[in-house]
Order: sequence, then structure tokens, then C-alpha cells
Amino acid sequence: MTPTFTFATAQYESGDWDSAPLVPPNIIDTIARYTEIPVTPAGVIVSLASPDLLRYPLLYLTGHLPVRFTDSERRQLREFLERGGMLFVDDHNHDVDGVFHKTATEEITRTIGEPKPLPNTHPLYSAFFKFTDGPPTTSHELNGWGDNLVHKNLFAVMREGRIAVLYSSKDYSSEWGYHPDSKRFQSVDNTKFAVNIVVYALTA
Amino acid sequence: MCALALLAWMIVRSAAPRDSAEVHESTDSRALQAALVAWTLAPEPTSVHVTAAFAPAARERQWLRALARAGVRVSWSRDSLPATAIEVAERTDPAGGVRAYIAAPAGTRATLSDAVGLIDTIAITPGANALSLPVTAGALDLLVRGQHARAAAPDSILPRQVVVLGRAGWEGKFIMAALEERGWKVSSRLRVGPNVFVTQGTPIALDTAHTGAVIALDSSAAQYASAITTFERSGGGVVLAGDAPLAAPLRALAPGRTGTRVAAASLAFASANPRRALGFFPIVASAGDAVPLESRDGRVVAAARRAGAGRVVQLGYDETWRWRLAGTGDAPAAHRDYWSAVVSAAAYRATKPASNAGPAGDAAPLASLYADLGAPGTPPAAALSITPGLRWWMFALLALLLLAEWGSRRLRGAR
Repeated sequence: MTPTFTFATAQYESGDWDSAPLVPPNIIDTIARYTEIPVTPAGVIVSLASPDLLRYPLLYLTGHLPVRFTDSERRQLREFLERGGMLFVDDHNHDVDGVFHKTATEEITRTIGEPKPLPNTHPLYSAFFKFTDGPPTTSHELNGWGDNLVHKNLFAVMREGRIAVLYSSKDYSSEWGYHPDSKRFQSVDNTKFAVNIVVYALTA
Repeated sequence: MCALALLAWMIVRSAAPRDSAEVHESTDSRALQAALVAWTLAPEPTSVHVTAAFAPAARERQWLRALARAGVRVSWSRDSLPATAIEVAERTDPAGGVRAYIAAPAGTRATLSDAVGLIDTIAITPGANALSLPVTAGALDLLVRGQHARAAAPDSILPRQVVVLGRAGWEGKFIMAALEERGWKVSSRLRVGPNVFVTQGTPIALDTAHTGAVIALDSSAAQYASAITTFERSGGGVVLAGDAPLAAPLRALAPGRTGTRVAAASLAFASANPRRALGFFPIVASAGDAVPLESRDGRVVAAARRAGAGRVVQLGYDETWRWRLAGTGDAPAAHRDYWSAVVSAAAYRATKPASNAGPAGDAAPLASLYADLGAPGTPPAAALSITPGLRWWMFALLALLLLAEWGSRRLRGAR
């Protein structure tokens, strides 16, 4: 059977794109654990400026540092999004006053449009598991780190009725940044929302 | 002598209609109609010939046929009458509209109009000349070198939803996106886990009242095989993509068997034939009634067949999404058009009578002329033509000759 899903992490020239190296294997493990979606065992890293970007319709981008896309990165990313790709951006700082949030949202706005609050009734929250209250909270939010806020909504840029860019200030990159084997020590698997993101990307 | 002259005149007068021929240059419909009236009223000619600068309308052709049935020898010839034809078919497309197929001499320029006005001017090329027209009003009129061809607007299509069934994956996602962007209403039921499905719309309504076509993405759609078969037998359209026909319950519907997958040679999408960069399942051992639609290097990639009242299209591609994302040029638009065409080819066609079809006309005037009057012929010999004017001249000449004979006899003894 042909693998249909490969988890891809976006590499960009500025900032620390590789700040959450344990997230990809953890999400791959979660997808394999809960679904029968054929998934490539290892994720890939793909440069935003590379045409290879167009081989991976779901892209994960994170970091702590300022994000400044080069012209070729911006051009390639715009092409990717206009053709139907989906970009999931997570603020690893969990800080709306932080440099990542300010620069990343600015770059997204320049590239494809301004992210707007995503209603918590959006099909994303019922694509696989049911999240009736919207995006699940993270321990960083509840412990008052970062901007000391519990963010009620994710943000999104929509194209043709579908999410093109999903933006999170909730710091899932920290929440999901652990070895997959450690899931057994958790009473509740906190990576379930990642399944919804992947299933939504594959079906909507 | 006067009695002799009167007798001669009566002979000429009585014989003239039976020996007369009429040659008519049909420059316009009104003149031809006037000639037809004249030919029909006594005295009718024995033969008529129409030199057509335009193809007579159906009414005039029927009139000429009636004359022929009444014993008049009818022939026709043409000077520069172009062979034109127009065919208009509805598009099974949510955007509606029609597709016009045009035939005319290569190299000529044709204008296409509807009830509102001019639509387009077309330089006719050898082979098929087809146009997709999203909006038309009434009949379409084709004009080539003064010759009109006219086709009434067809019934319009009432598009039904498209149902997508199979496993969750990029192919299903981008097929749905392409069809929705083209205006199709899409419902889906995509499998993501054991007994876990992501559902959009009402995919369970597999009947022609709600659904025009079903796309089976892969062999996992076999669980719906019974419903899909019933739907297809009742007139629905089925698209079997990728390895879907590998499942035994769907194999009976398929135009052919699914061969071993041919991997993509490269992912470099050439603009001329972008689908060459895609991997595919070749269609082998085609059914006797299968029609190949697309081939690559001698292997069939797409085929279609009728089974029951519906149609089945088998498509060997399973990763057309790569074309949409990585193709050159406006690949998303090409991908949309491709999938819309695939679905259109199979989909059930519910029609609504055209509200303004426009007046009927000749869709192929020259062909109609051949059908009604046969092949063109030569005009009757001029010597046989005795027109009314000539008839009087002959009578005058005869009278003059009689007078000369009479005078000759009277003057014979005077010398």
C-alpha cells in the first residue's frame, strides 16, 4: 500500500525551525495508534524555498525566534497554500507579545492573509476526536507560562472554505515534545488533537 | 393563312410548357420562393434547376421535392456554398452551459451568435472545432461566408451531488477540493480507522434522485459494492479510481482488470502531458464493451463502459493530487477540469427542457440539401429552354416566314 501521509516540518532560513524535534515522531506515533491512515514511519524536513514543499500537503512550522521569510520562501509558500496545501504554525513561546508570534503572524499576513479566530464549532474539532470546547488547553497555558493566557481560539486563514493556515498560540510544540513511549505515563493522551489536525487536512 | 398561323401559335403555346426548363439563380430566399410559386402555377416547366448561392431553407427544399414528385425534373448546383454544420450539446457541469461543435471549411472564419448577439468569431481549423459556452440565449447561429447554420439550445442539465468513498488520503481530499471548486456538490464518507469514518454531506443517498456519480477511491469502497452496483444499474455514474477494481465486488463493474502498479518515472510535470509524471494502475484484460479513453506507452490508463443504464469510468491514477500541487502552469485549474470532465463523462444526466430553445433551423444546410434533392447536377441545355419571350419570337418568325411565303406566291406571276 502506498504511504499516503508523511509528516513534514518546515525549515526556514531565519529563526529556530528545529526547536521541537520530538513533535514529529510523537504525532506519527499518534496517527498510527488511533487511525489506519498509512503513515510514513519517519517525518521529513523540507525547506520552505524548495519545490519539494509541494510534495507534502500538510506542513508544520514552529520556533521561538523571529521569523522572516526570504522572497523565495514567501513565493513558494504562497504557491503551496494557493494550490491547497495546509500550514500548521505553532508558537513555541506561548506568548502573544513574543517575537515569534509577532513576526510569524506578520509573515503569514504578507504571504496569504491575516489569520482570523477560528470558531470552536469548526469541523476541525470533530474531525476525529470530539473537542466540544474548542482547542484543548496545554499545561503551559494552565501553569501561567508565556503570556499567562488560556487562548480560547486558534486562528486560521481560510481559502475556498478550507483552512489554509492554522495558527496556534497554545504551544503544542512544548505539549507534544516528548518521546512517544512516554505516552504510557499519561492518564490522558494530550496528542489526540494532532489526530484531528491530520485527519482534517486529509479529508476536508 | 391566318388560320394556319393561329394553329401554329396554338401548337407552340400548348407544347411550350412540356418542353420548357427554368434555371434559377437563388440569390435569396424571397426570390426562390417567388420562382417556386411561378413554377407551381400552370404552366409548370418540365425541369427546373436551382443554382444555389445559399442553401435553401427546409420549406423551399420540401417545395422542390414536391415539384419533383409532381413530375418536374429538379436539379441543383452550387457555386461557392460552404459545407457547414453545428451541433450543440449540454454540459454535465455544475457551471451549466453548452458545448458547440462546429464544422466548416478549414481556413474560413465563422461567427457564432445567439439571441442576444455575437458570441465569438472563430478561425476554423482542420479537425474538430469545439467551444464551451457557459451562457447562451436561445438557438445558436453559425455564419460562414453568408451561409447560416442553426441549432436549437439543448435541454439543460440538473447536476446531482458527487459521492466520494474510500480511505482518507491526499487523493480524496484534492479530488473533493477540485470538484467543489468547479461547483460540484460533494458528499463523502472517508475511512480513517476501523469503523471510523469522516462524513461530509449525505453520502448514503446513492440514488439518481440525489446523486449523479460515485467515486470509489480505492478497494476499501468495496463495502458499498452492492449499493454502488444498484445505483449504476439505475443510471448512475461510477468512477473506479486507483486500485478500487482490485476488490472483487467492484471488479464486475469495471471496464477491465487492474494490473501491477507502474511507479512514476519522475515527478517532473511537463506542461504538454503532465499526467505522464504520475504513477498508475494499468487497465488490462478489458471487457469487450470497454472503450479506452487514455493510454500511456501502449497501456490503458482510463477506460469506460456501459453496464445497465449507467456508465462506469475506470481510472488507473491514484495520485493526481501531485499534479495539482507540483504541476507547472495553472495545474490546479487543469486538475479541476480533468476531474470535472471525468465525473461528467459518467454522471447521471437529469435534464430540464430548455426554456428558450429558440426557433429550429438547419444545423447542417448543405447536408440537408443533399439529403432532400440528391447530388448536384448540371443545368438543362440552353437549347431546350423555351422561355415565354423566346416563344413569342418564334411565333413572330413563323408568321414572318408565312407572310414571306404568301408574298412570294402572290408576286410569282408579276414578273
